[in-house]
Amino acid sequence: MESLPLSEPVLLILVSLAEQPRHGYSILKNVEEMSDGRVTLSTGTLYGALRRLLEDRWIERFKEEESSRGRQAYRLTARGRQILRAEVGRLKHLTKVASLRIAPKEM
Amino acid sequence: MLTLSRYLLYLYPAAHRMEFGEEMSGVLRERQNELGKRGALARWISNGREIGGLLRGAVREHVRAATGLYSWEGFPIRRIRMRTEFRFPKATPVLMTVILGAVVMAIEKARAIQMSIPPSHQQVGPIQSADFTVLPSFVLLFVLGCVAGAIAWAIAYALRRSGGQRLEELKAPGLQSTRK
Repeated sequence: MESLPLSEPVLLILVSLAEQPRHGYSILKNVEEMSDGRVTLSTGTLYGALRRLLEDRWIERFKEEESSRGRQAYRLTARGRQILRAEVGRLKHLTKVASLRIAPKEM
Repeated sequence: MLTLSRYLLYLYPAAHRMEFGEEMSGVLRERQNELGKRGALARWISNGREIGGLLRGAVREHVRAATGLYSWEGFPIRRIRMRTEFRFPKATPVLMTVILGAVVMAIEKARAIQMSIPPSHQQVGPIQSADFTVLPSFVLLFVLGCVAGAIAWAIAYALRRSGGQRLEELKAPGLQSTRK
């Protein structure tokens, strides 16, 4: 897959949107929650990432029935989901290999 | 803080502001509401991060608008990005014109200094106008610039293309393994 590996903020944004469509603030909170407060995106960084993901068609705008002014929800596209699956597969493989190598060897 | 953030949004290109300005203001407002419940130190840290993020974001968007490329800090989509196509940055002709202007100005300044030296100070070895004029220098500079640019473009194009091809070769087996 040509776009892998993903950077951590992009991976977390995609994971956040994999569950359900979310608007900007909800993505920020969810990313913070998933990373145990380690990754805190600023608003400027988040919207730079969202613009790029929209341009690459990994995410799309999602029209909510009850959306307040100034709130726009986003959701994963089929392509975004496919890339996320490939990245998760890559990470699983890496974790498996690393776990085998760091496990204590039998004497 | 909210007022300052709104002013900082004006640093973004107009197109970005039109598309995301209102949303970003909404997110900043929600963040401020949440921060109201926290301590002073947490508020300072968070506000500093927001201001820094907005400033970096504005610079990044201007770079992107001017060159069509993403500068990279923060969130590269992937860690090493190689493009199969070659893009000529739009800012290059502007930069080259500025450099050329500076060179022409330096030449003119040198001529003015030469003219201001009294004829008695011949040990400097005055440059004769017949040997050194602006037009041939300009043409020579332009030709040399074109040649250097063409060589650099060819090298960059060859490197990117070969990188893209190598990635394509690597991609096929990787995809098969994820599908299994």
